[in-house]
Amino acid sequence: MGEQLLDIQDLKVRFKTDDGYVSTVNGVTFHMEEGETLAIVGESGSGKSVTSLALMGILPPNGEVYDGNMTFEDKNLREISKKEYRKLRGNEMSMIFQEPMTALNPVFTIGFQLRESLMLHFNLSKDEAQKKGIEMLDLVGIPDSEKTMSRFPHQLSGGMRQRVMIAMALSCNPKLLIADEPTTALDVTIQSQILKLMRDLKIDSNTSILIITHDLGVVAEVADRVVVMYAGEVVEEAPVYELFENPKHPYTKGLMSSMPKVHEVVDDLYSIEGTVPNPSKMPAGCKFHPRCPLADEECTLVHPDLEYINESHAKRCIKV
Amino acid sequence: MAEINIENNRVEEEIILEVQNLKKHFEISKGFINKEVSTVRAVDGVDFEVFKGETLGIVGESGCGKSTTGQLVLGLLEPTEGKIYFQDNEISALNQKELRAARRNLQVIFQDPYSSLNPRMTVEDIIGEPLVVHKLASGKELRKKVLRLMNLVGLQEHQMKRYPHEFSGGQRQRIGIARALALEPKVIVCDEAVSALDVSIQAQILNLLKKLQRQLDLTYIFIAHGLPAVRHISNRIGVMYLGRMVELADRNAIFEKPLHPYTYALLDSVPIPDPKLRKESQVIEGEIPNPSNPPSGCHFHPRCPFANDVCKNEVPEYREIFDGHYVACHYPLTDHETQVISTEKEKS
Repeated sequence: MGEQLLDIQDLKVRFKTDDGYVSTVNGVTFHMEEGETLAIVGESGSGKSVTSLALMGILPPNGEVYDGNMTFEDKNLREISKKEYRKLRGNEMSMIFQEPMTALNPVFTIGFQLRESLMLHFNLSKDEAQKKGIEMLDLVGIPDSEKTMSRFPHQLSGGMRQRVMIAMALSCNPKLLIADEPTTALDVTIQSQILKLMRDLKIDSNTSILIITHDLGVVAEVADRVVVMYAGEVVEEAPVYELFENPKHPYTKGLMSSMPKVHEVVDDLYSIEGTVPNPSKMPAGCKFHPRCPLADEECTLVHPDLEYINESHAKRCIKV
Repeated sequence: MAEINIENNRVEEEIILEVQNLKKHFEISKGFINKEVSTVRAVDGVDFEVFKGETLGIVGESGCGKSTTGQLVLGLLEPTEGKIYFQDNEISALNQKELRAARRNLQVIFQDPYSSLNPRMTVEDIIGEPLVVHKLASGKELRKKVLRLMNLVGLQEHQMKRYPHEFSGGQRQRIGIARALALEPKVIVCDEAVSALDVSIQAQILNLLKKLQRQLDLTYIFIAHGLPAVRHISNRIGVMYLGRMVELADRNAIFEKPLHPYTYALLDSVPIPDPKLRKESQVIEGEIPNPSNPPSGCHFHPRCPFANDVCKNEVPEYREIFDGHYVACHYPLTDHETQVISTEKEKS
């Protein structure tokens, strides 16, 4: 691991709705180092995707960051101009999404879309960009890369489209790649190919990867460190081996035991009762207390801080 | 649980549903002037039987025909060829009216409970609708029955007058289950019933399905792409690839001693939530072929590490190798070969 690349302190994001503001990210803190793969894991409504959109500066029009700090290298992301942000995106940080079909433009060829960003960011000529584009497609394991350049997105399979997205995202050698559920829409044999590709690319290029997922299996496959989110907060943070061996927060433990295992069979699965709370009606005290097996009166009153139990493992719970 | 013999995971072997040489071909036309017609063999000769009280899991990736198989069994699609028997009656030969009556015994739970529930109907109306359509209850009686169904799936009485959008994904799936149970069916096809749910909610629904099966003596056909969930709930599992059943066996046999190289690769691709078991390489290369133009011979041969000319040219016969273990492969895996694959993986 190297230098610190990204530092997020107490990030808060809210959305304007008909019923006033709803805050979906409530004080998220984490950092990333160069060359590191960090996974943010959580269920729907945990705020994991909103955090990544805020980081990229691409929140929908009704959303805003209203508190906290985001520092990327030495730049304060909350203070830089729109123009500077645009330069940062693509060059320094880029993003891949769950469904590449909606992120690629259906009326242009793969080649056109790949060349566009290369010509814009590196001032390449069309021929140079074409050559570099083919190189990128080779890198992500697309067979027949020259032919693929003249194809349209709908002519490719889901796995190939995701490879194209990764090629595009990496074409400007970003320092940070944000991958929001990159394999959720893919079949399992294709998923394992894409995960392997992401691992290989990291070794080759030293790009830091922020992967957002709900799947603890994916986390275990690719992450160095893990941040677990629940109801807009970080509830646990730890290196990947430590987290799986020694999970502390009852929510993390619950998530792990509620997954059916491929290699063992139990009669009944452990299940976390209830559902993720609605962001406009958050419970007082610890946000997990209504679903927590350990909760008592104190939990309904005190909102616990994120507390480090050693230098790299933190948890937000007063009971463990 | 006492009546179920856990030893070999088989329930009393009374066949409730049987599928013989089932085929469904879709014709698709391309172009307008020079019309080109090609055939997608979505389901291409599938045989299996379902025992009373068991859960038969059907797994496979996109385009393998698992959902089409489910729709054929439900009578929602008409088979191109082949027969489906429910309790010795051939349902594939029934007319509309008879089919309607037969459907009382065959119900379905869909993947996305939001798009399969009418947003303008209250929970009471959604769950009660099958009873009204089949003229089985009305008035007070209907309300009582709906309430009982709601209790069965863990919904509260005060939620009766609410609309689907007021519920979370897991709760909506409970509504879908209650509706499927309304006609007291014998067989329920669960088509990706937990795939869209969060992990913690998925566990709740899987537990509920198991509880209901014990309580009501139900038989499930559980169609899904998520292997861990399928292993959890199924007694036996069938693996499909490009319209054909490639392997079918007891769940433990499928997971511990797979005979088909595809089954092995599929299992090996599942990410395991333990960083110590991180995969450094993968066994399976290549894409899933286009179902309208499948490879010759064994459909899996272009991706199979063991394929030779026989696999390229001849369709492997689907046959019973051990008691209850079916496979369609010219060269089923032996223990030796699975070991070779894993040592090669370790080396690389």
